[in-house]
Amino acid sequence: MVKIFIDEKPVETKEGATIFKAAQEAGIPIPHLCYHPAFEPEGTCRMCLVEIEGVPKLELACSTQVREGMKIFTRNERVVEARKGVLEFLCAEHPLDCPICDQAGECKLQDYYEEYGLFDSQFREVKEKRRKKAQIAKNLIHDQERCVLCRRCVRFLREVTGTREMGVFERGNHTEVNILDEINIDNNYSGNLAEICPVGAITDSDFRFKTRSWFLAEGDSICPHCSRGCSVSIHYNSAFHRFPVPKRVFRVNSRTNPDINGYWICDIGRYAYPYIDKNRCDKIIFNNDNTQLSWESAIPLIAKKMRRLKDMDNTSHLAIIMNTWLTNEELFLLKKLFVDYFQAENIFFVDPPHGEADDVLLTAERTPNRKGAVEIGFDLRPLDWSELSGNTDILLIFGSFLTGQTDSGEVKTHLDKIETKILLTPHSSDLDALMDIILPTAVIPEKSGSLTNVDGIVQEFAPVLEGIGESQPEWKILIDLAKLMNADFSVKTFTSPAVILEEMGKEIAFFKKRQ
Amino acid sequence: MAEKLLTKLFDVENAHTIDIYIQKNGYRAIQKALKEMTPEQILEEVKAANLRGRGGAGFPAGVKWGFVPKTVDKPKYLCVNADEGEPGTFKDRYIMTHNPHLLLEGIIISSYCVGIHTAYIYIRGEYEVIALRLEEAIAEAYAKGYLGKDILGSGFDLDVYVHRGAGAYICGEETALLESLEGKRGNPRLKPPFPASIGLFKCPTVINNIETLANVPLIILNGADWFKQKGLPKDGGTRIFGVSGMVAKPGIYELPIGTPLKDIIFEHAGGMKKGKKLKAVIPGGMSAPVLTADEINVAMDFDSLVEAKSMLGSGAIIVIDQDTSMLEVLRLVAKFYSHESCGQCTPCRIGNAWIRKTVDRMANGAGQKGDIDNIIRVASNILGKTLCPLGDAAAMPILSITQKFREELESHIKGQG
Repeated sequence: MVKIFIDEKPVETKEGATIFKAAQEAGIPIPHLCYHPAFEPEGTCRMCLVEIEGVPKLELACSTQVREGMKIFTRNERVVEARKGVLEFLCAEHPLDCPICDQAGECKLQDYYEEYGLFDSQFREVKEKRRKKAQIAKNLIHDQERCVLCRRCVRFLREVTGTREMGVFERGNHTEVNILDEINIDNNYSGNLAEICPVGAITDSDFRFKTRSWFLAEGDSICPHCSRGCSVSIHYNSAFHRFPVPKRVFRVNSRTNPDINGYWICDIGRYAYPYIDKNRCDKIIFNNDNTQLSWESAIPLIAKKMRRLKDMDNTSHLAIIMNTWLTNEELFLLKKLFVDYFQAENIFFVDPPHGEADDVLLTAERTPNRKGAVEIGFDLRPLDWSELSGNTDILLIFGSFLTGQTDSGEVKTHLDKIETKILLTPHSSDLDALMDIILPTAVIPEKSGSLTNVDGIVQEFAPVLEGIGESQPEWKILIDLAKLMNADFSVKTFTSPAVILEEMGKEIAFFKKRQ
Repeated sequence: MAEKLLTKLFDVENAHTIDIYIQKNGYRAIQKALKEMTPEQILEEVKAANLRGRGGAGFPAGVKWGFVPKTVDKPKYLCVNADEGEPGTFKDRYIMTHNPHLLLEGIIISSYCVGIHTAYIYIRGEYEVIALRLEEAIAEAYAKGYLGKDILGSGFDLDVYVHRGAGAYICGEETALLESLEGKRGNPRLKPPFPASIGLFKCPTVINNIETLANVPLIILNGADWFKQKGLPKDGGTRIFGVSGMVAKPGIYELPIGTPLKDIIFEHAGGMKKGKKLKAVIPGGMSAPVLTADEINVAMDFDSLVEAKSMLGSGAIIVIDQDTSMLEVLRLVAKFYSHESCGQCTPCRIGNAWIRKTVDRMANGAGQKGDIDNIIRVASNILGKTLCPLGDAAAMPILSITQKFREELESHIKGQG
């Protein structure tokens, strides 16, 4: 450890740490544009210049390593003046289009100008005209006038994806980052470019002009679209809009997690968010007659049917189709209730089909919890209609993944043979018409629980959004069902997914909380 | 006339060929260095000679070589900076044209001293003919066994390659030169790490100017004390001053370090052209702060020029007469640096373009009150804030011109009402 002084405050930090990191750990922010923790410092924006006692020139915080006893000043007059000077340069050639810029409100340049600048422009010259709206990827728009040449995009494409679609062209004030020969950026991580751009030079066409950043609240969640389980931040509408807003979620950004995804997420995870608001099933549906079902009547009805099978020793007449979008806790409850207590045998899993993995983050498994299901004790047996015994009376289906995977006529032929078909799903689909009872459930950002990623990391998450309509999380439905089925495990104590996870730890070594 | 050391053979016909060079006692220094001296002894001799870099920064060559780690499991490289891009500078081209073997001898001794087996001569793209001459000289040296394997039976191997640049001023900055040599865009690197530890291809690298290396054989043959006697104790040897502008006899003049600027202009270079009055002198290449006619009683060595708030730089003396508009000088300076800024760091990229736009506007008769103060303010915000020395190289002459010739510049603004 090394002891240094930042703005006269003693700070202990690791040997070899940069001034920037030491200051950050001590809660002292240092303005920066080109610095990004994922990359080696480039030292080109010159925003992070600080004064070091005994050193004549101002030095870069991003690249200068601390030395024992170093006295650093991050906001004395000289440093603030230098910062203002750099800001003045950046603003001189920068367009004044904050009112129509999507980055406004979360723009580093705008923030720093408010903090250090607020000067009147002395720039009496003509600003350079540059390309304002160039498509550089199917999802990205590039505004050369707003670019501050931090080169984060160039470095990202060089160091993270290795695809190198962007480079630096021209020289001096005509320097620009651009794609080469109009060949668009085409990789599964391109959305990160809009996210790491510190200004509004690269904007996401999915987000452009849809809302303003200050209307959005952020919530921590986990991406469920493959088994990597990347940490994400869900940005959702939280404020009053002058016009009705048709959706809650406006974008998903990556959330730093050194153990799993670093600073990035893939485009599949980033752009899949419309599933949260689109096609949602928000009411309990009882197709057989016009009786209006509520949770209070639906769960007893289902419990009664199941209990009857159990009492008659006809447990083989129940079949369950599960999926691995379900959380560890939900799968554990399913195991306790249907495998251990009910002794059901016909358990299948229907997940979205595997895709292709890449060597950055994306895995082949396109659900978040296959590893969790295996650790809980499921064998992930895929659905085989021929194995679904001819005497199935009740079929319980979780999720709507049967649609699109099997020929709908075939599904109908098989389902028609079964007396009671119950679907628990967050989304409406073609499957609904073939069901007797449809129970609306929550999507991952609406519930709490945990998921086990491909590497066996168990990650807990909390709800970001409120549930939609009558929907309820599956864990709650299962607890209610278990109570009414007189299940023989301590279901009454299962008051939350956190309690369930703790219980899981006692029963399954894998889920024992690691210190 | 002063004694010629580096330019001694310039008047000898075909001195650029190896036979004439050897006839004139050439390649004796490598005999001595490789056969009679250890690398440590050479390093001590060069250090003692106080040979300061001739490229511009004036860093002692021996000290620079000493920074290179002795034992390292990577190759080490010598990069010879023949980019000669500083406006007003035209000395290295003459060494390479007329005395290429003196340079090669310097390269061989330096490489032997530091333990280098590969040297690259990075030559500016415009010097095509000179590059060919170097190639010829290198071929001759290989044929005589002065390059290649086991030079003079010493067991020391060295290969030398010529690499032509593509015309960017910034590639004369040592780390941009390395990037360019590696085949990348010529952007300066962040320092530290310094090239002595992480340089070309991430290996320890020495980068020296042509004139610096050409002095090395002289030091080896004649000793450090002799070398210091030829110049100053702290700043040994001669300099090849390139005098250009409004003098009667522009050209290169090899003179002892410390020769007064006044003497160079009025004695050696024949005084002002057509009897015009001297107005200003840029004493060390365009990035050196300008001196007024009253300030030329200065000795041409590193320390004296620093004291005079300018710099010796590349020793390129640009003489400006009474008829030259300082606004045009300023415009030229601003145009050059904004054009040559690599564009990677903010103050240099935007600051220089800003100054250029303002000066252009002034020159076009649309100057406004406050323009000069603003140029000074902008240049001060560039000075000391940039990643590489180009920012300072631009800010220093701009600041000195605007401050020292403010009245003249203001007259342009007032003249336009």
